[in-house]
Amino acid sequence: MDLQYVRKLVKLLSESAVDEIEIEEEGTKIRVARNSHGIQVVPAAAYPQVIPQVPASQGMAPTAPPQGVAPSAPPATPEAPPPGLHEIKSPIVGTFYRSPAPDAASFVQVGSVIRPGTVLCIVEAMKLMNEIEADVAGKIVRIMVENGQPVEYDQTLFLVEKA
Amino acid sequence: MFKKVLIANRGEIALRIIRVCKQLGIKTVAVYSQADRDSLHVRFADEAVCIGPPPARESYLKVPRIIAAAEITGADAIHPGYGFLAENAPFAEICTTSGIKFIGPTPEMISAMGDKSVAKETMRKAGVPVVPGSESIVRTPDEAREISRAIGYPVIIKASAGGGGRGMRIVREEAELENSYRTAQHEAEQGFSNPDVYIEKYIEQPRHVEIQVFGDEHGNVMHFGERDCSVQRRHQKLIEESPSPVVDDDLRARMGEAALKGCHAVNYVNAGTIEFLVDRDGNFYFMEMNTRIQVEHPVTEQVTGHDLIKLQLRVAGGERLPRKKIVQRGHAIECRINAEDPAADFRPSPGRITDFHMPGGFGVRVDTHAYAGYTVPPYYDSLTAKLVAFAQTREGAINKMAGALEEFVIEGIRTTIPFHRQVMQDERFRSGKFDTSFLETFRFEPPGE
Repeated sequence: MDLQYVRKLVKLLSESAVDEIEIEEEGTKIRVARNSHGIQVVPAAAYPQVIPQVPASQGMAPTAPPQGVAPSAPPATPEAPPPGLHEIKSPIVGTFYRSPAPDAASFVQVGSVIRPGTVLCIVEAMKLMNEIEADVAGKIVRIMVENGQPVEYDQTLFLVEKA
Repeated sequence: MFKKVLIANRGEIALRIIRVCKQLGIKTVAVYSQADRDSLHVRFADEAVCIGPPPARESYLKVPRIIAAAEITGADAIHPGYGFLAENAPFAEICTTSGIKFIGPTPEMISAMGDKSVAKETMRKAGVPVVPGSESIVRTPDEAREISRAIGYPVIIKASAGGGGRGMRIVREEAELENSYRTAQHEAEQGFSNPDVYIEKYIEQPRHVEIQVFGDEHGNVMHFGERDCSVQRRHQKLIEESPSPVVDDDLRARMGEAALKGCHAVNYVNAGTIEFLVDRDGNFYFMEMNTRIQVEHPVTEQVTGHDLIKLQLRVAGGERLPRKKIVQRGHAIECRINAEDPAADFRPSPGRITDFHMPGGFGVRVDTHAYAGYTVPPYYDSLTAKLVAFAQTREGAINKMAGALEEFVIEGIRTTIPFHRQVMQDERFRSGKFDTSFLETFRFEPPGE
């Protein structure tokens, strides 16, 4: 996703009477939408500061062991999910949010029925809200990260029982 | 000074930067692709963020993910290392607009020196000797003839859109010129969809001598002497040394002065290297400027006693350059130990290292991210270790290097260690009288197994 491209789209939207632009090409989809209060690109600060000072061993999947320890075993791999459950992973690096705005309802809960294209959450990066969509149909069994938690590439966000 | 630095790189240079940050009390964030999960830079950083699958363009070159990683960890500066995004002006720009300090020069300096003809013109105007040549595209055979007469044969016709040693024709006398000119245009059209060519003086068997420069944010610039990087294979450096066997005090002073003129012309900030070609008569010509720290910076460090990565961080933090005069002492040589098979045309040899033992001792330095059990991934460059030997004299450094190479054990993959061992015994190399054509005639003898 080319940042300059995204910026151009935002500019295009703000300078026109169009409410929403959605473009899909070569496997990438982007949607830029205007809400009733004008273009909303919610800055991270608007969210409750739930971003804990998470030490690396907790917040991120396999990372550095405590300092001063000579390298021995490689970083522990995350435990495999229960068999049969599908993992939905983050395609980008950023901050995970359950809802489109601080005071809005969450996109999904445990038990929510989803299908391909259902928006599950937002991962915010560089002041841009990226909606993460489901790639399967099924039911949310577990939400793996907390609201406001930083996530890295390929980190598991949701466990889904496929339909 | 920064509180937390994100290293936008991998391998030995990422580890190098993390080490310096530790010394300065700065916290570190490593970013890594899935192929580098077990890498040392990930282990030794305070925090680490996975930024993508193995391919570089899906990870180490993914600007939004790197910036996002800096944001979620609260890093206040990014060190780009070398390669990857180190000379990517838009990346430097995005760091700045995101409120993150880019440890290096400004986007404008990166752009200016990134365009080879703009860089050359900038240097020429600043009074830095450049390779004589046409000032722009040569449009007709008559123009080609006129320019070649003015420059003097031999000349080289180069495709404007070419690069990496491609799209070049050497012309030794006027009788060949018109044919070569037309052929060069045709080849350029075929190879790069652009028939534009320009003409330069062809420097025969040059040496590659570069000057390490530094600028601070207070307008000061300085240089740390030269490195000779003439031992190259297909324009890739394999062995570097400082000082250069062909640079005496006078030439060093003149090249240093030229390099500083170039820096002043762009108000250069942070680390940089100005590369020159030196011909057989001791004339030097600007070739290009690299606006980053280079792989071979350790030889300059050994000879001048300055930690250049630490200086990069200090300068980026607003400190002034050291005022004391730089003194070169002794001689340092670096051998790039790559995961390549010298007996098979240097074919890449990734894979799992089963046994690993580094040499050591007084004046032996190894910069590496490898260890026993480490798997060299196939997705990135093959540099596995940098072995640096330092002694009072060049001969001493060569002998020390030869001994260190003998001790260096890397098993499970092929490396260029056997190749370096043979070069250290080579008469021409030992004499110091060689140029960039050295490896064209050097014969590697595969050791009996």
